[in-house]
Amino acid sequence: MADAATAVAATEMTVEMVKASQLGMKALGAGIAVGLTGIGTGLAEMAIGSAAVGATAENKDVFGLVLLLTVIPETIVIFGLVVGLLLLF
Amino acid sequence: MLTPEGMTRVLIAATKSQMEPVIREMYRQHLFHIEEFVEKDRIEYEGYRIGTPLPQANETSRELLRLRGITNAFMIRDDQEASQSERQKNAHLKEVVEKELPILEQEVEELLGRRSRLDTQVKEYEQKISGLQPFRDVPFDLELLRGYKTFSVFSGYILRDISLDIPHEMFTSDTKKAKFVILIVSNQHRGSAEQALLDAQFQAVPIPEENGLAKDRIGFYESQILAVKGELEDINRRLEDLKKEHKNLFLACNELLTADVEMAEAPLRFATTGETFIVEGWVPTAELEKFRQGIHYATGGKVYVYELEGSEIEDIAPTEYHNVGFAKPTEMLMDVYSRPRYTEIDPTLLVSIIFPIFFGIILGDVGYGAILLALSIGLQRFMKGDDGTRLLKVLRNASISSIVFGILFSEFFGFSLPWSPILFSRHLNIGGHAAGHGPEVTSLMIMAIWIGILQITLGRVLGIINHARQDHGSHRVKAVMANLGWIMVLWGILLMLWASFTMPFMPDFTGLPPIVMGLNLSSILGIVLILLGVIFIIRDSALEIVELPTILSHVLSYARLVGVGLSSVAIAMVVNFIAIGLIIEPQLESLSAVGVIIIIVGALVFVIGHLLNTILGMLGGGLQSIRLQYVEFFTKFYKGGGKKYTPFGMKKRFMED
Repeated sequence: MADAATAVAATEMTVEMVKASQLGMKALGAGIAVGLTGIGTGLAEMAIGSAAVGATAENKDVFGLVLLLTVIPETIVIFGLVVGLLLLF
Repeated sequence: MLTPEGMTRVLIAATKSQMEPVIREMYRQHLFHIEEFVEKDRIEYEGYRIGTPLPQANETSRELLRLRGITNAFMIRDDQEASQSERQKNAHLKEVVEKELPILEQEVEELLGRRSRLDTQVKEYEQKISGLQPFRDVPFDLELLRGYKTFSVFSGYILRDISLDIPHEMFTSDTKKAKFVILIVSNQHRGSAEQALLDAQFQAVPIPEENGLAKDRIGFYESQILAVKGELEDINRRLEDLKKEHKNLFLACNELLTADVEMAEAPLRFATTGETFIVEGWVPTAELEKFRQGIHYATGGKVYVYELEGSEIEDIAPTEYHNVGFAKPTEMLMDVYSRPRYTEIDPTLLVSIIFPIFFGIILGDVGYGAILLALSIGLQRFMKGDDGTRLLKVLRNASISSIVFGILFSEFFGFSLPWSPILFSRHLNIGGHAAGHGPEVTSLMIMAIWIGILQITLGRVLGIINHARQDHGSHRVKAVMANLGWIMVLWGILLMLWASFTMPFMPDFTGLPPIVMGLNLSSILGIVLILLGVIFIIRDSALEIVELPTILSHVLSYARLVGVGLSSVAIAMVVNFIAIGLIIEPQLESLSAVGVIIIIVGALVFVIGHLLNTILGMLGGGLQSIRLQYVEFFTKFYKGGGKKYTPFGMKKRFMED
């Protein structure tokens, strides 16, 4: 009985605790947003990047074009970054 | 300023007797970009043939080849220019090439020949030594192992001991990996001896064709190698002396002969008939008169120089940048992407202004800016090559902008300067003692978005100009309208957003009275703009519709200006907090011997951390801001793929003009 009572007391939360936990959730959300989009960008750029390096090795003139193609997926992580920053601040 | 250097297409026609003076003058002026003649390419040139090289071409190129062989052997690099006095010395180079150079070449070739002969000799001796090596411990003369009729001699390595029950004589010695054995048996027992050796995994070693003890022979050859090496050193020293003494002469001769060969081979790019030749090419319009006069004087007016005109000709003109001095280094960044076409707007000047600003917004820190500025100025002395110095100049401009924005953001290695941020605050609350309120992320974001909106609109406006200039007929109108359509869709979306949301630093149209269906004037205007814009885009190319979302993604892409910048600030502040807050400060309260060491460690953490962040900031700031130009800005108007203007001739570095 005594154990149950302390457990109930422990789960009762004050407003400050709720606020703090919300802050933590926001930070987690921001982290997940940036992290997952980062992985997405990485996966997408992996294949493009290796092909781009190969193409540049064969013909240096295409460097500008392949750089452009390589960085196109970066938009994904930028979206994640925007969401993350807006969540945090 | 925003267009490349103006070019005029020039046609030169003359009799073949004037060919050499014309070529000489063109080469001297270094202005004429030769348009190569291709047989059967154009109808008006029917019957013309590619010219044959001038008579001296063969001999000159042979001479050049020999000279290059020597300069290669010497590993002479033409990495610097000769001084004025050295240039004057080279005034009578023609005679030198004819008289002195052959003698010098002969001497060098002789030395090189001797060197390679001696090199082979050393190799031969070394081979002999390695053949003798297994017999090093054999205590009898080597000739005793050869020339028997009734005996067989085996020599080689075995992995296991062997025991023979036939009459034999055997010598063994141990080496690191296996046992060396010499076995002599009479011919009638040869079979069983071979079998026994085979069982012991015998590896035969040939008996060297030498007389005397192997040890003595090795000593003899070693002394021979030493002697030859001494001789080699002598030769190398002689060659080195020659190189030092005549380096400039070699380079100057190389330049002269290269020029001669290029001139002699120029007719290969001309169109010729039996008695005449025609060459077409490009001359910068500003220099045209000078060029024309030069040709006139050189040939006594016996040459016909004609200017060709027409817009279809312009499409194939070579491109030479025409920028103010400030923008010149940025041409390198343009060449990395692609050189502009002749008819296209050359955005070098715009990039040279916008790129440093973006760099500054991302890496706005007085400290980092100062480090990069010092680096870019200091390295200029050691950097050779045109591209390297231009890159450093771009970095210099960018770091100055970084310092300016550092003052505006009030940042110095992540600390705040004595004033509060003039622009927006980027100070994060790291370590719990940040001054003022945290970063104004929303304001910064809106600033970045505004930059994006403006640059993309500018890009589309330039697109309109480019299409109006380059295209012809109905496509021209459609393409111009499509670019206008993209601007209209962008601003239509903005109007609709402003009608529904209140945002800082953006116009607020939420207060306008609704007109139809709860939509106010701003929304209706936005919808009309979007619809019209989409129609304009479809009229040019229906497939472009799939690109519509890029309006949003490209504008939002400018958020990286803030995102990458904030991450750089965060790293700087974390480094400060770890180095000073966690390591140095607690030790300062009660100083001890160990404390001093810990403080030094803290200082080290501080330096390494900021060094790392400087490099990261330079890469991040540079790459992200150039990427915004290449991807978000250039795709709106820029095609590139222009031909480089390479005038016939060369800049003389070792000779006087």
